[in-house]
Amino acid sequence: MRRRNNGGCSSEGCIGLLPSATRVGLDIAEIGAMVGGLIRQGRPLPVVLTALCELFDAAAKGYSSSVLLLDRTGLRVRNAAGPGLPAGYMKQLEGRRVSWIETPFRATINAKAPVIVLDPVSDTLWEGEEAVPAAPGFRLHEVSPILSLTGEPLGIFAVFQRESNPELPGSTLIPQFAHVACAAIERMRSDAAVKRSAALLKRTQQLTSTCCFSWRVETDEISWSIELSQLFELDSADVPVTLELIGARIHPEDLPSFHEMIERARHGVSDFEFEHQLRLPDNSVKYLRVVAHGTRDQEGQLEYIGAVQDVTHHRHTEEALANLQAELARAARVTSLGVLTATITHEVNQPLAGIVTSASTCRRMLAVDPPDVEGARETARRTIRDAERASEVIRRLRALFCKKGATSESLNLNEAAREVVALSRRELERNMVIVLTDLAGELPPVQGDRVQLQQVILNLCLNASDAMSDVDDRPRELVIRTERDGEDRVRLSVRDTGVGFEPQEMDRLFDAFYTTKSSGMGIGLSVSRSIIESHKGRLWAAPNDGPGATFSFSIPRGPQETTACVTGARSPGAIRTPAGTNAEVM
Amino acid sequence: MMVKRPLVSVVDDDVSVRESLPDPLRAFGYCVRAFSSAEEFLASDCVGETRCLILDIAMPGMTGPDLQHELNLRGQEIPIVFITAQADEAVRTCFLKKGAVECLFKPFSDTALFEALTAAFRVSRAV
Repeated sequence: MRRRNNGGCSSEGCIGLLPSATRVGLDIAEIGAMVGGLIRQGRPLPVVLTALCELFDAAAKGYSSSVLLLDRTGLRVRNAAGPGLPAGYMKQLEGRRVSWIETPFRATINAKAPVIVLDPVSDTLWEGEEAVPAAPGFRLHEVSPILSLTGEPLGIFAVFQRESNPELPGSTLIPQFAHVACAAIERMRSDAAVKRSAALLKRTQQLTSTCCFSWRVETDEISWSIELSQLFELDSADVPVTLELIGARIHPEDLPSFHEMIERARHGVSDFEFEHQLRLPDNSVKYLRVVAHGTRDQEGQLEYIGAVQDVTHHRHTEEALANLQAELARAARVTSLGVLTATITHEVNQPLAGIVTSASTCRRMLAVDPPDVEGARETARRTIRDAERASEVIRRLRALFCKKGATSESLNLNEAAREVVALSRRELERNMVIVLTDLAGELPPVQGDRVQLQQVILNLCLNASDAMSDVDDRPRELVIRTERDGEDRVRLSVRDTGVGFEPQEMDRLFDAFYTTKSSGMGIGLSVSRSIIESHKGRLWAAPNDGPGATFSFSIPRGPQETTACVTGARSPGAIRTPAGTNAEVM
Repeated sequence: MMVKRPLVSVVDDDVSVRESLPDPLRAFGYCVRAFSSAEEFLASDCVGETRCLILDIAMPGMTGPDLQHELNLRGQEIPIVFITAQADEAVRTCFLKKGAVECLFKPFSDTALFEALTAAFRVSRAV
């Protein structure tokens, strides 16, 4: 064999009018166009390559051509097309390794140039285990590599001679066909890559419920995907899409912020991101999240490329979760209600006892002659005071147990804690718990739902009390402490001298329905944690150095501008809640 | 002839009760002292003199029943009228069995209080 040295294989400049090709009535450009047509029709690659071989065979009488497509490694035949060769032979070539030793096939790949086979070779096409008996009556005439634009071997164009010494029209015909094959393979590979990436993008968009758009700010030219039109429920006739058309779908509530967003984007923010609702013609609502990135083209024109994500489902899930959380919180409150029933009865009956007795006394004082007006006035004053005390108990209970959604107000954790202590003092003292408070002076207010936060404090107190119910060898001491936690957070902790918890229990403490108590649903801490997390805070537990545990939460302080510090000196050390006086009760 | 009025001691941690009870008790003809805790009562010089004890059940620190037990240990047999804001018949029965004269549920009327005291002084005389 010898290497053809006509330089025919260089990738560029092969397609053109060639005298040799015109001799058989076909020029190579025409062949290229015909193959291109097949590709555009969406024919698969083997069909296209087979057609190419048929064209060659028609042009070169007495010769049969084949295209051996190599796999990505360039070492193995992945697909073999050769309509003019015995089918059995072609089938054997599929999956064959291209021999490592110097066969014409290896030679043409290594040389990246056509090789003319001079010696009649029969069994040297493939070597060793990969050997394939030559097709009877065919003799390999010339092979030409099919090279990619970057010079990687894509396949081999092999031409077999059928008759003795037929005339091969044109010395460059084989490399030119190889080049057409190369163009076809490259085109189809890039088409497949584009299709694959488009399919991937589409799938990704489906998976993430995302659609794409671009917006040229200067011309207000918007291009967006069909999926986006479907999302907005726009008619396919609504082309081109305009800002007005989009605006018409935006929920009226969100229109002002939408326009504001557009205005800001026009003035060239680099990126924007916002969430808004759509109101569709059937009055249904969709929630969208829009993220866009701004770039300037060479002329300095601003263009945003962005993604729109349908987060309706996500929103609904969030809402359902919030409802569930509220439901759980209420269930926890009801549980606490049971625990607190004794306290409530007590707290209401106590002032009632005073009222009944004082009113009777008052009546008696007025009945004597002369009436004891001064004494009656005093008992009436006590009656009113006790009645107010009773109504205060009711008011607080109603606030704690009524069903209402979360509200947000500026509140002082010290006051919230004091109220909880007042409300639960009875229950705690019934369990022989000494309540100590250590509340920081000048504690910044926090922003949040008073009832929910009090619910958490109450939960922590009742838990602490339960943890100490079997403690007899040391004081059952509960310390509620508030303090600043760094610059912008406030911390409240409840420390007990109870049984504490094992380190391995730590992770499970906050799981719903995890409880170490024989009574109780085990949802208190889990609900407490979700409440604190909804306040952008954190709730945690830590064992004490001595006996017991400390549960703490830390939440951000309220907005700076409304920071009206509650003044007052820190309580001097830990002071015992005065028992036996009502100073802390109501 | 000077008659020394019998002493009734009230022990309750609740201020409403401590402030309102002495008036009717005085009207019934008793001398009255009010204490905010069992400990305060025990530390006072009234223990021996008290003819009837109106005693709250649930108090921080030493509870009403604790005080009753303590008095029994000291051999002080003072008739006791328990008062409680926790209406529980089972508890009442239990206290009556243990020797209490009466157990009143707050809020209670003057009449109920008067009757309880009358009963207590019947017991007192019997003792």
